[in-house]
Amino acid sequence: MTLTRGTKAALIAVIVGVMCLVLQPYFAWLGKWPAAWTFPVNEWLSSGVGAILDLFKPVARGLSWLLAFPMDGASWVLGNTPWPIVIAATAALGWRLGGWKMALLGLFGLSFVLISGYWAQSMRTLALVFVSVPLALLMGLAIGVLAFEVPRFRGAVNATLDVMQTVPTFAYLTPLLFLFGFGPVVGLIASAIYAAPPMARNVLLGLERVEHDIREAAIMSGGTRRQQLLLVEIPAAGNQIMVGVNQSLMAALSMVIIAAVIGGFDDIGWEVLLTMRKAWFGQAFLAGSVIVVFAIVIDRMSATLATQRQHYDAKIGWIILAIGAILAFVVRIDPAEIALLDGVADVVDTSVGAFTAANGAALDSVKNNAMFYGLLPLRIGLDQAVLPFTWGFQWQPSYSLWFFAAAVALAGLCAARGRMLTGLTILLCAGILETGIADLPWPFVLVGVCAVGWASGGWPLVRLCAILLGLILLSGLWERALLSLYLSGAAVFACAIVGGLLGFWAAVSKTAWVILRPMCDLLQTIPLFVFLIPVLMFFQIGEFSAFLAICLYAIVPMIRYTRHGLTTTPDDLIEAAKSSGANTWQTMREVRAPYAAPSILLGLNQTILYAFAMLVIAALIGTTGLGQSIYLALGQADIGLGLSAGAAMAILALIADRLVQGFAEERRKALGL
Amino acid sequence: MTDKNSAAPAIAVEGLWQVFGEGARNSLQKIGTQDTRDTAAKLQDQGLIPAVRDANFEVQSGELFVIMGLSGSGKSTLIRCISRLVEPTAGAVRIDGEDILQASDKRLIDLRRNKLGMVFQHFGLFPHMSVADNVAFPLKMQGAGRSERRARALEVIKLVGLEGREDAYPRELSGGQRQRVGIARSLAVNPDIWFLDEPFSALDPLIRRQLQDEFLNIQATLKKSIVFITHDIAEALKLADRIAIMRDGEVVQIGTPTQIVLNPIDDYVREFARDVPKGRHMTIGEVMEPVGDGPLAGEWPELRTGMSLEDALTQCAATFEAVPVKDGDGKVVGMVRPDTFVKALGAEAT
Repeated sequence: MTLTRGTKAALIAVIVGVMCLVLQPYFAWLGKWPAAWTFPVNEWLSSGVGAILDLFKPVARGLSWLLAFPMDGASWVLGNTPWPIVIAATAALGWRLGGWKMALLGLFGLSFVLISGYWAQSMRTLALVFVSVPLALLMGLAIGVLAFEVPRFRGAVNATLDVMQTVPTFAYLTPLLFLFGFGPVVGLIASAIYAAPPMARNVLLGLERVEHDIREAAIMSGGTRRQQLLLVEIPAAGNQIMVGVNQSLMAALSMVIIAAVIGGFDDIGWEVLLTMRKAWFGQAFLAGSVIVVFAIVIDRMSATLATQRQHYDAKIGWIILAIGAILAFVVRIDPAEIALLDGVADVVDTSVGAFTAANGAALDSVKNNAMFYGLLPLRIGLDQAVLPFTWGFQWQPSYSLWFFAAAVALAGLCAARGRMLTGLTILLCAGILETGIADLPWPFVLVGVCAVGWASGGWPLVRLCAILLGLILLSGLWERALLSLYLSGAAVFACAIVGGLLGFWAAVSKTAWVILRPMCDLLQTIPLFVFLIPVLMFFQIGEFSAFLAICLYAIVPMIRYTRHGLTTTPDDLIEAAKSSGANTWQTMREVRAPYAAPSILLGLNQTILYAFAMLVIAALIGTTGLGQSIYLALGQADIGLGLSAGAAMAILALIADRLVQGFAEERRKALGL
Repeated sequence: MTDKNSAAPAIAVEGLWQVFGEGARNSLQKIGTQDTRDTAAKLQDQGLIPAVRDANFEVQSGELFVIMGLSGSGKSTLIRCISRLVEPTAGAVRIDGEDILQASDKRLIDLRRNKLGMVFQHFGLFPHMSVADNVAFPLKMQGAGRSERRARALEVIKLVGLEGREDAYPRELSGGQRQRVGIARSLAVNPDIWFLDEPFSALDPLIRRQLQDEFLNIQATLKKSIVFITHDIAEALKLADRIAIMRDGEVVQIGTPTQIVLNPIDDYVREFARDVPKGRHMTIGEVMEPVGDGPLAGEWPELRTGMSLEDALTQCAATFEAVPVKDGDGKVVGMVRPDTFVKALGAEAT
């Protein structure tokens, strides 16, 4: 019998797993990577990178001093402009960008900010965004154009952008703190750095996608290279570049709010953090809503830039602004005194309090069931999670034997029916479930991941996985990495199932998509940070809350890509299936689902990356693993730990990304796409 | 351009090679170009792609020179070599005697601003510019002032029949209109040399024919030296003064439309010419015999050497009486005049 690559890979993983299981009692080093085999990477990084950063410190401090001017300037202008003018200016801008719809969005959005009582804090956040975004856009444009003009750089730039996308947000902050010192400038720079890659990517993509004929027409018109670029190629790539502007704005906003953990700028992110820490959920909810409103206004308005725009009369814009100016003269109320929604906050507080009090038992049981029967076994294995306290009885070693025997029987049955891969997968799952991800022997993880890498992308990917995982092993972060892997793995698994089903539902039912679509849009607009508020309100600090927050954030791409894949099957394929006599269900199973596979895999890939991104943020509300380390490093200004934990996180994300991409690519090729 | 070159052909292509791949120039030099087939085979063995193989031809001033071949035959690469949109691997391209492959970047820009115009298969219109701005773009590159640009642009836009659409944007135009803009733009600086890369291939057949006719009209007044690329033999025969047929990067035959149809050099060219209605593309002058002792006195139809075979046949057929047509049993059921008969055949082929 010839075995497929996937089957061979699974077989190798099973063999190594069994060997580890059998030999572990005799060789302790098989279970846990011995501490003696690790290198003091943190210290090396601390001193090495610290020394390098010390060199740049004077420059950085100078830059920090320099950037303080535009930032203070923007902050002063926004802080001292009468609020009617700010609101009118936003509405006028909205009018110019997208007509009445956008004007009203601007008007209502900022009015909400005003009555929330967080006007001053919001303006400070906005000031940070205003200064960081132009920086990010300029950097992104320069990098994108450079990468396009000098093809030798393109590979390097793309690889760097890939890595930057996977390095968790908090990990940027520690070295920046060291370089620039405490203060809002760090947030500014972090957000500029974080927001530049999407711009660079879209500039490069846009330039690459300019039609060949357009490019050649510019050459044949006798333009110099500079004229070709400035007058033809960049404008022709305009829409894609505007997509970059939109993404860049959202990234900047998200990062500005995350950077509030550094403190010192009394902005809206800080407000959320503060109220969350004090468990004033009503106020946290209100401040969070302000962030969401900001995000929606900025996102929707800047998104109009990337579409074919109609022309909206500038005069009306000026009229709106004039009305604002007149109002500013007439209505002179200090925004600090406007807090019309404090009542709402109180209501939220009391009703959430009442709800949790009334349904505390139910909420607890949801949480405990999920923990006891789902998360805990996954983390530490059935052998340790099954206790009288949780499951009502004590796991005995003999149960393990029975458990494995059942798995082997089932696997044998599958293999006998020709489904070798399914059988092996069952064995692997049983092994992981019995042992627990956090307690998996390292040779099994290493070989298993490499085997999957081999099935997905051949030897180059095996080499990459082995080297990167080896680095984590040697750095001594292995156990924390496994903990991170467990939580994000659990979340991804849940997202894949629930999101896949929702995506499927949205694909077959128009009504479902009408309901799900605005929810997806909203979830994708909300800055990461805000996800923590609702889960905290109901489930307090802990792993389950973190799990929920990750799921909420990471489920969206799974829904979107699944639906997209299932609904974009070419018409002639569906017609061919129908004319062959397939019913709806058969068409779905035999034609649409296989055709959607690459798209669904890409969705899974995005979900994984989202989960890793959120994992670090979720460290704020209590997770263990790398996220926690990164967060701790930030608090202690420990560059070594921050960098190594950040790198380990990036490695996990990178490996997951490459594995799934490899399978997606293989599916695409198989379908001839 | 100096005066001594004025007698030179508008375009002269000599021993032109375009080989794609790493280290193509070195490999080509090493192998040498004595035997085209042999060289190409050796290049391919090295993993290189010889897209144009030893092209040689001249385009006279005012001539409409068509390069025809199937997709992948290298014709698009060839026109890009001549316009130096790609850097040829070996050979020379002389425009009015000047080898433009040796021209500096500055000189090349200068040539493009003043002497060369090009039309693209997918139009290549700048999406962010209005029709007038698109057309005026080469003038802008020349450094012409705003009002001058506008005036000239309107002039050319009128020439291609797009008056009144000058402030529209490309996305608002149909395919045919877009290519009119492309043509107008390529003519804006009144170039001497006009490159057209499959300009009508992306259009519907009806629009295509209409634009072909208008293109011939424009050429009749402007008398440019033209290199025109197409994969459509009918288009080539209709437009060309001379045709070059390409296969696998090689120019296999160059000749007038009649020569191509009458004397195809090999099966490949014959295959192209097979479906062509020969009666329309050959003239009676090409099949006539020298006057011998035959009876030439009398009433004869008016035949002229430039007449197409089809027209001549119609004329000749008019001299015959009507012929009876019988049914299966041999009973006469009607009659047919040979000239209507010939016309009907011609009409069918049109």
